[in-house]
Amino acid sequence: MNIVELKNVNKNYPAFRLQDVSFALEEGRITGFIGRNGAGKTTTIKSMLNLIHTDSGEVSYFGLPLLQNESEIKKRIGYSTGTVSWYPRKTIREITEVTKSFYPGWDEEAYRKYLALFGLEESKKPIELSEGMKVKFNLLLALSHRAEVLILDEPTSGLDPFSRDELLGLFTTLKSHGVTIFFSTHITSDLERCADDIVYISHGRIKAACSKADFLRDCGKEGETLEEVFLRLEREAAE
Amino acid sequence: MKALIKKELRLSASVLAYIFIAFGLMALIPGYPILCSVFFITLGLFQSFQYAREANDTVFTALLPVAKHDVVKGRFLFTVFIELCGFLLMAAMTLIRMTLLADSVIYRHNALMNANPFFLGMALLLFGLFNLIFVGGFFKTAYNFAKPFVTHIIVCFLLIGVAETLHHIPGLQALNAFGFEHPVLQFSLFLAGLLAYVLLTLLSYNKACKDFEKIDL
Repeated sequence: MNIVELKNVNKNYPAFRLQDVSFALEEGRITGFIGRNGAGKTTTIKSMLNLIHTDSGEVSYFGLPLLQNESEIKKRIGYSTGTVSWYPRKTIREITEVTKSFYPGWDEEAYRKYLALFGLEESKKPIELSEGMKVKFNLLLALSHRAEVLILDEPTSGLDPFSRDELLGLFTTLKSHGVTIFFSTHITSDLERCADDIVYISHGRIKAACSKADFLRDCGKEGETLEEVFLRLEREAAE
Repeated sequence: MKALIKKELRLSASVLAYIFIAFGLMALIPGYPILCSVFFITLGLFQSFQYAREANDTVFTALLPVAKHDVVKGRFLFTVFIELCGFLLMAAMTLIRMTLLADSVIYRHNALMNANPFFLGMALLLFGLFNLIFVGGFFKTAYNFAKPFVTHIIVCFLLIGVAETLHHIPGLQALNAFGFEHPVLQFSLFLAGLLAYVLLTLLSYNKACKDFEKIDL
Protein backbone atom coordinates (compact mmCIF):
# COMPACT_ATOMS: atom_id res chain seq x y z
CA MET A 1 0.00 0.00 0.00
CA ASN A 2 1.24 3.49 -0.86
CA ILE A 3 1.56 5.54 2.30
CA VAL A 4 2.89 8.67 0.66
CA GLU A 5 2.30 9.76 -2.89
CA LEU A 6 3.56 12.73 -4.90
CA LYS A 7 1.90 13.43 -8.24
CA ASN A 8 3.35 15.88 -10.76
CA VAL A 9 4.72 18.32 -8.21
CA ASN A 10 6.14 21.42 -9.85
CA LYS A 11 7.92 24.37 -8.34
CA ASN A 12 9.61 27.15 -10.25
CA TYR A 13 12.36 29.30 -8.79
CA PRO A 14 14.25 31.89 -10.84
CA ALA A 15 17.29 29.62 -11.09
CA PHE A 16 15.83 26.18 -10.44
CA ARG A 17 12.82 24.08 -11.40
CA LEU A 18 11.33 21.05 -9.72
CA GLN A 19 9.63 19.32 -12.63
CA ASP A 20 6.79 16.81 -12.49
CA VAL A 21 8.07 15.09 -9.39
CA SER A 22 6.08 11.89 -8.89
CA PHE A 23 6.82 8.89 -6.72
CA ALA A 24 5.22 6.81 -4.00
CA LEU A 25 6.44 5.31 -0.73
CA GLU A 26 5.30 1.89 0.30
CA GLU A 27 4.33 0.99 3.85
CA GLY A 28 7.11 -0.42 6.01
CA ARG A 29 9.94 0.20 3.58
CA ILE A 30 13.04 2.35 3.73
CA THR A 31 13.49 4.65 0.77
CA GLY A 32 16.71 6.51 0.13
CA PHE A 33 16.39 9.82 -1.69
CA ILE A 34 19.60 10.53 -3.50
CA GLY A 35 20.90 13.31 -5.68
CA ARG A 36 23.80 15.67 -5.71
CA ASN A 37 23.78 19.04 -3.94
CA GLY A 38 21.22 21.35 -5.54
CA ALA A 39 19.40 18.51 -7.33
CA GLY A 40 16.13 19.32 -5.56
CA LYS A 41 16.10 16.93 -2.59
CA THR A 42 15.32 19.54 0.07
CA THR A 43 12.80 21.34 -2.17
CA THR A 44 11.00 18.03 -2.73
CA ILE A 45 10.98 17.29 1.00
CA LYS A 46 9.72 20.80 1.76
CA SER A 47 6.89 20.31 -0.72
CA MET A 48 6.05 17.04 1.06
CA LEU A 49 5.62 19.03 4.28
CA ASN A 50 3.77 22.02 2.81
CA LEU A 51 6.68 24.29 3.73
CA ILE A 52 6.78 25.61 0.20
CA HIS A 53 3.94 26.69 -2.01
CA THR A 54 4.10 24.40 -5.04
CA ASP A 55 2.95 25.64 -8.43
CA SER A 56 1.04 22.45 -9.18
CA GLY A 57 0.77 18.81 -8.23
CA GLU A 58 -0.50 16.92 -5.22
CA VAL A 59 1.00 15.35 -2.13
CA SER A 60 -1.03 12.79 -0.20
CA TYR A 61 -0.46 10.65 2.89
CA PHE A 62 -2.50 7.61 3.87
CA GLY A 63 -4.70 8.34 0.84
CA LEU A 64 -5.55 11.84 2.10
CA PRO A 65 -4.44 15.05 0.37
CA LEU A 66 -1.95 16.97 2.52
CA LEU A 67 -3.41 20.43 1.99
CA GLN A 68 -6.87 19.52 3.27
CA ASN A 69 -5.67 17.30 6.13
CA GLU A 70 -2.46 18.99 7.18
CA SER A 71 -2.65 18.85 10.96
CA GLU A 72 -4.06 15.28 11.10
CA ILE A 73 -1.38 14.02 8.73
CA LYS A 74 1.42 15.77 10.59
CA LYS A 75 0.42 13.98 13.80
CA ARG A 76 1.21 10.71 12.04
CA ILE A 77 4.52 11.68 10.48
CA GLY A 78 7.89 12.67 11.87
CA TYR A 79 10.33 15.04 10.27
CA SER A 80 13.92 15.85 10.96
CA THR A 81 16.28 18.12 9.17
CA GLY A 82 20.03 17.92 9.51
CA THR A 83 21.65 20.50 11.72
CA VAL A 84 19.00 23.21 12.07
CA SER A 85 18.96 24.53 15.60
CA TRP A 86 15.49 25.17 17.07
CA TYR A 87 15.31 27.59 20.00
CA PRO A 88 19.07 27.54 20.60
CA ARG A 89 18.83 29.05 24.09
CA LYS A 90 16.05 26.87 25.49
CA THR A 91 16.84 23.56 27.12
CA ILE A 92 15.97 20.28 25.46
CA ARG A 93 13.56 19.69 28.36
CA GLU A 94 11.70 22.96 27.67
CA ILE A 95 11.47 22.32 23.92
CA THR A 96 10.28 18.76 24.45
CA GLU A 97 7.70 19.77 27.08
CA VAL A 98 6.04 22.08 24.57
CA THR A 99 6.46 19.83 21.53
CA LYS A 100 4.86 16.80 23.14
CA SER A 101 1.66 18.69 23.88
CA PHE A 102 1.02 18.79 20.11
CA TYR A 103 1.08 14.99 19.78
CA PRO A 104 -1.68 12.88 21.32
CA GLY A 105 0.47 9.83 20.52
CA TRP A 106 3.59 11.07 22.30
CA ASP A 107 5.57 8.05 23.54
CA GLU A 108 7.45 9.04 26.70
CA GLU A 109 9.08 5.62 26.93
CA ALA A 110 10.45 5.88 23.39
CA TYR A 111 11.59 9.44 24.13
CA ARG A 112 13.55 8.30 27.21
CA LYS A 113 15.00 5.37 25.27
CA TYR A 114 16.26 7.52 22.37
CA LEU A 115 17.44 10.23 24.74
CA ALA A 116 19.73 7.67 26.37
CA LEU A 117 20.67 6.04 23.06
CA PHE A 118 21.71 9.36 21.54
CA GLY A 119 23.52 10.45 24.70
CA LEU A 120 21.53 13.68 24.98
CA GLU A 121 21.03 15.54 28.26
CA GLU A 122 17.76 17.31 28.84
CA SER A 123 19.43 20.21 30.62
CA LYS A 124 21.51 21.08 27.53
CA LYS A 125 20.56 23.77 25.06
CA PRO A 126 20.83 23.35 21.27
CA ILE A 127 23.47 26.11 21.23
CA GLU A 128 25.67 23.87 23.39
CA LEU A 129 25.34 20.87 21.07
CA SER A 130 27.74 19.84 18.31
CA GLU A 131 26.35 19.59 14.77
CA GLY A 132 26.03 15.82 15.10
CA MET A 133 24.19 16.11 18.42
CA LYS A 134 21.79 18.65 16.87
CA VAL A 135 20.93 16.05 14.25
CA LYS A 136 20.29 13.56 17.03
CA PHE A 137 18.08 16.01 18.91
CA ASN A 138 15.99 16.62 15.79
CA LEU A 139 15.71 12.87 15.30
CA LEU A 140 14.71 12.43 18.94
CA LEU A 141 11.67 14.68 18.47
CA ALA A 142 10.76 12.93 15.22
CA LEU A 143 10.99 9.46 16.77
CA SER A 144 9.08 10.06 19.99
CA HIS A 145 5.47 10.34 18.84
CA ARG A 146 4.82 6.99 17.20
CA ALA A 147 5.15 8.39 13.69
CA GLU A 148 4.07 6.02 10.95
CA VAL A 149 6.20 7.80 8.39
CA LEU A 150 9.57 9.42 8.99
CA ILE A 151 10.82 12.02 6.55
CA LEU A 152 14.44 12.76 7.26
CA ASP A 153 16.49 15.32 5.41
CA GLU A 154 20.12 14.22 5.49
CA PRO A 155 19.85 12.55 8.90
CA THR A 156 23.36 11.14 8.72
CA SER A 157 25.11 14.42 7.92
CA GLY A 158 27.51 15.45 10.66
CA LEU A 159 27.29 12.10 12.44
CA ASP A 160 30.43 10.18 13.35
CA PRO A 161 30.73 6.70 11.72
CA PHE A 162 29.65 4.95 14.91
CA SER A 163 26.50 7.08 15.36
CA ARG A 164 25.73 6.72 11.65
CA ASP A 165 25.91 2.99 11.94
CA GLU A 166 23.66 3.07 15.01
CA LEU A 167 21.14 5.26 13.23
CA LEU A 168 20.99 3.08 10.14
CA GLY A 169 20.53 0.07 12.42
CA LEU A 170 17.69 1.96 14.12
CA PHE A 171 16.04 2.51 10.72
CA THR A 172 15.98 -1.25 10.20
CA THR A 173 14.43 -1.80 13.66
CA LEU A 174 11.77 0.86 13.01
CA LYS A 175 11.02 -0.71 9.64
CA SER A 176 10.39 -4.04 11.36
CA HIS A 177 7.73 -2.21 13.41
CA GLY A 178 6.02 -1.08 10.20
CA VAL A 179 7.42 2.46 10.06
CA THR A 180 7.96 3.89 6.59
CA ILE A 181 11.21 5.81 6.28
CA PHE A 182 12.18 8.28 3.60
CA PHE A 183 15.59 9.85 3.98
CA SER A 184 17.69 12.02 1.73
CA THR A 185 21.40 11.57 1.50
CA HIS A 186 24.30 11.99 -0.81
CA ILE A 187 26.21 9.21 0.92
CA THR A 188 25.67 6.09 -1.15
CA SER A 189 26.92 3.73 1.54
CA ASP A 190 23.84 4.73 3.62
CA LEU A 191 21.69 3.36 0.82
CA GLU A 192 23.79 0.22 0.45
CA ARG A 193 23.36 -0.39 4.15
CA CYS A 194 19.61 -0.11 4.64
CA ALA A 195 17.52 1.19 1.73
CA ASP A 196 14.91 -1.05 0.11
CA ASP A 197 13.95 1.52 -2.51
CA ILE A 198 15.69 4.39 -4.21
CA VAL A 199 14.38 7.67 -5.51
CA TYR A 200 17.01 9.37 -7.61
CA ILE A 201 16.68 13.04 -8.49
CA SER A 202 18.82 15.03 -10.86
CA HIS A 203 18.36 18.64 -12.00
CA GLY A 204 14.89 18.80 -10.44
CA ARG A 205 13.58 15.67 -12.20
CA ILE A 206 13.03 12.20 -10.80
CA LYS A 207 15.23 9.88 -12.84
CA ALA A 208 14.37 6.69 -11.00
CA ALA A 209 11.94 5.56 -8.30
CA CYS A 210 12.14 1.81 -7.78
CA SER A 211 13.59 -0.90 -5.60
CA LYS A 212 17.35 -0.89 -5.08
CA ALA A 213 17.69 -4.16 -6.98
CA ASP A 214 15.68 -2.84 -9.93
CA PHE A 215 17.72 0.33 -9.94
CA LEU A 216 20.99 -1.56 -10.11
CA ARG A 217 19.61 -3.85 -12.81
CA ASP A 218 18.10 -1.08 -14.97
CA CYS A 219 20.63 1.70 -14.54
CA GLY A 220 23.83 -0.07 -13.55
CA LYS A 221 26.37 -1.93 -15.59
CA GLU A 222 27.82 -5.22 -14.57
CA GLY A 223 30.07 -5.03 -11.52
CA GLU A 224 29.17 -1.40 -10.74
CA THR A 225 28.49 -0.35 -7.15
CA LEU A 226 25.69 2.10 -6.34
CA GLU A 227 28.21 4.90 -6.04
CA GLU A 228 29.69 4.11 -9.43
CA VAL A 229 26.23 4.05 -11.01
CA PHE A 230 25.37 7.49 -9.57
CA LEU A 231 28.68 8.99 -10.59
CA ARG A 232 28.31 7.69 -14.13
CA LEU A 233 24.69 8.87 -14.40
CA GLU A 234 25.60 12.34 -13.13
CA ARG A 235 28.54 12.56 -15.55
CA GLU A 236 26.35 11.46 -18.43
CA ALA A 237 23.72 14.06 -17.47
CA ALA A 238 26.38 16.79 -17.39
CA GLU A 239 27.71 15.94 -20.86
CA MET B 1 -5.05 25.78 20.20
CA LYS B 2 -3.94 25.30 23.83
CA ALA B 3 -0.67 23.74 22.68
CA LEU B 4 -0.11 26.56 20.21
CA ILE B 5 -0.55 29.22 22.92
CA LYS B 6 1.74 27.25 25.25
CA LYS B 7 4.41 27.20 22.56
CA GLU B 8 4.08 30.95 21.94
CA LEU B 9 4.31 31.76 25.64
CA ARG B 10 7.11 29.33 26.56
CA LEU B 11 9.27 29.00 23.47
CA SER B 12 8.66 31.81 21.01
CA ALA B 13 8.33 34.77 23.35
CA SER B 14 11.16 37.02 24.45
CA VAL B 15 11.13 37.76 28.15
CA LEU B 16 11.17 41.46 27.22
CA ALA B 17 7.62 41.17 25.83
CA TYR B 18 6.46 40.27 29.34
CA ILE B 19 8.63 42.85 31.13
CA PHE B 20 7.56 45.64 28.78
CA ILE B 21 3.91 45.12 29.75
CA ALA B 22 4.90 47.11 32.84
CA PHE B 23 5.15 50.21 30.63
CA GLY B 24 1.37 50.30 31.02
CA LEU B 25 2.15 51.91 34.41
CA MET B 26 3.35 54.97 32.52
CA ALA B 27 -0.28 56.08 32.42
CA LEU B 28 0.37 57.35 35.96
CA ILE B 29 3.31 59.60 35.01
CA PRO B 30 2.28 63.26 35.18
CA GLY B 31 3.44 65.66 32.47
CA TYR B 32 4.40 62.83 30.14
CA PRO B 33 2.93 61.77 26.77
CA ILE B 34 1.30 58.69 28.26
CA LEU B 35 0.37 57.16 24.90
CA CYS B 36 4.09 56.36 24.55
CA SER B 37 3.38 53.39 26.82
CA VAL B 38 1.73 51.75 23.79
CA PHE B 39 4.92 52.18 21.82
CA PHE B 40 7.05 50.59 24.54
CA ILE B 41 4.70 47.60 24.81
CA THR B 42 4.94 47.12 21.04
CA LEU B 43 8.72 47.43 21.34
CA GLY B 44 8.65 44.38 23.61
CA LEU B 45 6.59 42.57 21.00
CA PHE B 46 9.10 43.56 18.32
CA GLN B 47 11.86 42.04 20.45
CA SER B 48 9.80 38.88 20.70
CA PHE B 49 9.41 38.65 16.92
CA GLN B 50 13.16 39.13 16.56
CA TYR B 51 13.87 36.43 19.16
CA ALA B 52 11.46 34.00 17.49
CA ARG B 53 13.02 34.57 14.08
CA GLU B 54 16.51 33.84 15.38
CA ALA B 55 15.17 30.66 17.04
CA ASN B 56 13.75 29.35 13.71
CA ASP B 57 10.35 29.46 15.34
CA THR B 58 8.34 29.87 12.13
CA VAL B 59 9.64 26.68 10.48
CA PHE B 60 9.50 24.75 13.76
CA THR B 61 5.84 25.69 14.19
CA ALA B 62 5.01 24.94 10.55
CA LEU B 63 6.41 21.42 11.05
CA LEU B 64 4.23 20.75 14.09
CA PRO B 65 0.86 19.06 13.53
CA VAL B 66 -0.91 22.31 12.78
CA ALA B 67 -2.12 23.88 9.55
CA LYS B 68 0.27 26.39 8.01
CA HIS B 69 -2.02 29.32 8.84
CA ASP B 70 -1.90 28.30 12.53
CA VAL B 71 1.63 29.75 12.60
CA VAL B 72 -0.03 33.13 11.96
CA LYS B 73 -2.81 32.43 14.42
CA GLY B 74 -0.35 31.60 17.22
CA ARG B 75 1.61 34.78 16.71
CA PHE B 76 -1.53 36.94 16.58
CA LEU B 77 -2.91 35.32 19.74
CA PHE B 78 0.34 36.03 21.55
CA THR B 79 0.43 39.63 20.29
CA VAL B 80 -3.17 40.28 21.33
CA PHE B 81 -2.49 38.67 24.73
CA ILE B 82 0.46 40.98 25.44
CA GLU B 83 -1.43 44.01 24.15
CA LEU B 84 -4.46 43.24 26.31
CA CYS B 85 -2.26 42.74 29.39
CA GLY B 86 -0.66 46.14 28.74
CA PHE B 87 -4.05 47.66 28.02
CA LEU B 88 -5.59 46.31 31.25
CA LEU B 89 -2.73 47.81 33.21
CA MET B 90 -3.23 51.15 31.44
CA ALA B 91 -6.98 50.92 32.06
CA ALA B 92 -6.41 50.24 35.77
CA MET B 93 -4.08 53.27 36.05
CA THR B 94 -6.58 55.38 34.13
CA LEU B 95 -9.35 54.36 36.48
CA ILE B 96 -7.20 55.39 39.45
CA ARG B 97 -6.61 58.77 37.84
CA MET B 98 -10.32 59.14 37.06
CA THR B 99 -11.42 58.33 40.61
CA LEU B 100 -8.95 58.51 43.48
CA LEU B 101 -6.70 61.05 41.80
CA ALA B 102 -9.39 62.94 39.84
CA ASP B 103 -8.68 66.18 41.68
CA SER B 104 -4.95 65.80 42.03
CA VAL B 105 -3.22 69.09 41.27
CA ILE B 106 -0.32 67.39 39.57
CA TYR B 107 -2.67 65.93 36.96
CA ARG B 108 -4.92 68.97 36.72
CA HIS B 109 -1.96 71.17 35.75
CA ASN B 110 -0.92 69.02 32.89
CA ALA B 111 -0.48 70.42 29.38
CA LEU B 112 -0.35 66.93 27.96
CA MET B 113 -3.04 64.37 27.39
CA ASN B 114 -5.08 63.25 30.38
CA ALA B 115 -5.72 59.58 31.21
CA ASN B 116 -9.38 59.06 30.33
CA PRO B 117 -11.52 56.81 28.07
CA PHE B 118 -10.41 58.77 24.99
CA PHE B 119 -6.79 57.96 25.88
CA LEU B 120 -7.70 54.26 26.19
CA GLY B 121 -9.51 54.37 22.84
CA MET B 122 -6.44 55.93 21.23
CA ALA B 123 -4.25 53.25 22.83
CA LEU B 124 -6.43 50.54 21.28
CA LEU B 125 -6.28 52.28 17.90
CA LEU B 126 -2.46 52.34 18.12
CA PHE B 127 -2.34 48.66 19.06
CA GLY B 128 -4.64 47.88 16.13
CA LEU B 129 -2.42 49.83 13.76
CA PHE B 130 0.62 47.94 15.10
CA ASN B 131 -1.15 44.68 14.30
CA LEU B 132 -1.93 45.90 10.81
CA ILE B 133 1.39 47.53 9.97
CA PHE B 134 3.95 45.47 11.85
CA VAL B 135 2.46 42.02 12.43
CA GLY B 136 0.72 41.96 9.05
CA GLY B 137 3.82 43.43 7.41
CA PHE B 138 6.04 40.77 8.97
CA PHE B 139 3.95 37.94 7.52
CA LYS B 140 4.45 39.22 3.97
CA THR B 141 7.92 37.62 4.18
CA ALA B 142 7.99 35.91 7.61
CA TYR B 143 11.53 37.24 8.13
CA ASN B 144 11.69 40.96 7.32
CA PHE B 145 10.46 43.11 10.18
CA ALA B 146 12.68 46.20 9.86
CA LYS B 147 10.54 48.07 7.32
CA PRO B 148 7.21 47.27 9.04
CA PHE B 149 8.62 48.36 12.39
CA VAL B 150 10.03 51.64 11.08
CA THR B 151 6.65 52.33 9.46
CA HIS B 152 4.97 51.52 12.77
CA ILE B 153 7.27 53.95 14.64
CA ILE B 154 6.44 56.78 12.23
CA VAL B 155 2.68 56.17 12.30
CA CYS B 156 2.64 55.61 16.06
CA PHE B 157 4.44 58.85 16.94
CA LEU B 158 2.50 60.86 14.38
CA LEU B 159 -0.75 59.70 15.96
CA ILE B 160 0.57 60.32 19.47
CA GLY B 161 1.39 63.86 18.32
CA VAL B 162 -2.10 64.30 16.89
CA ALA B 163 -3.75 62.88 20.04
CA GLU B 164 -1.67 65.20 22.24
CA THR B 165 -2.59 68.21 20.08
CA LEU B 166 -6.33 67.70 19.61
CA HIS B 167 -7.50 68.92 23.02
CA HIS B 168 -5.62 72.22 22.51
CA ILE B 169 -7.82 73.00 19.49
CA PRO B 170 -10.76 75.26 20.45
CA GLY B 171 -13.94 73.19 20.77
CA LEU B 172 -12.13 69.93 21.43
CA GLN B 173 -11.24 70.53 25.08
CA ALA B 174 -13.75 67.85 26.08
CA LEU B 175 -11.30 65.25 24.80
CA ASN B 176 -9.13 66.00 27.80
CA ALA B 177 -11.90 65.27 30.34
CA PHE B 178 -11.09 64.71 34.00
CA GLY B 179 -12.87 62.15 36.14
CA PHE B 180 -16.18 61.20 34.50
CA GLU B 181 -16.77 64.49 32.65
CA HIS B 182 -18.36 64.26 29.17
CA PRO B 183 -19.20 60.59 29.62
CA VAL B 184 -21.09 60.13 26.33
CA LEU B 185 -18.31 61.62 24.21
CA GLN B 186 -15.56 59.89 26.18
CA PHE B 187 -17.07 56.40 26.16
CA SER B 188 -18.13 56.75 22.50
CA LEU B 189 -14.52 57.49 21.61
CA PHE B 190 -13.36 54.54 23.70
CA LEU B 191 -15.78 52.23 21.92
CA ALA B 192 -14.66 53.61 18.55
CA GLY B 193 -11.07 52.75 19.52
CA LEU B 194 -12.11 49.27 20.61
CA LEU B 195 -13.98 48.72 17.34
CA ALA B 196 -10.98 49.96 15.35
CA TYR B 197 -8.71 47.57 17.26
CA VAL B 198 -10.92 44.56 16.55
CA LEU B 199 -11.38 45.45 12.88
CA LEU B 200 -7.73 46.28 12.21
CA THR B 201 -6.56 43.09 13.95
CA LEU B 202 -9.02 40.87 12.07
CA LEU B 203 -8.18 42.55 8.77
CA SER B 204 -4.49 42.08 9.39
CA TYR B 205 -4.93 38.46 10.52
CA ASN B 206 -6.90 37.47 7.42
CA LYS B 207 -4.41 39.14 5.11
CA ALA B 208 -1.44 37.64 6.98
CA CYS B 209 -2.94 34.13 6.64
CA LYS B 210 -3.27 34.61 2.88
CA ASP B 211 0.23 36.09 2.52
CA PHE B 212 1.84 33.41 4.68
CA GLU B 213 0.21 30.60 2.71
CA LYS B 214 2.17 31.75 -0.37
CA ILE B 215 5.53 31.98 1.40
CA ASP B 216 8.24 29.38 0.87
CA LEU B 217 9.85 28.52 4.19
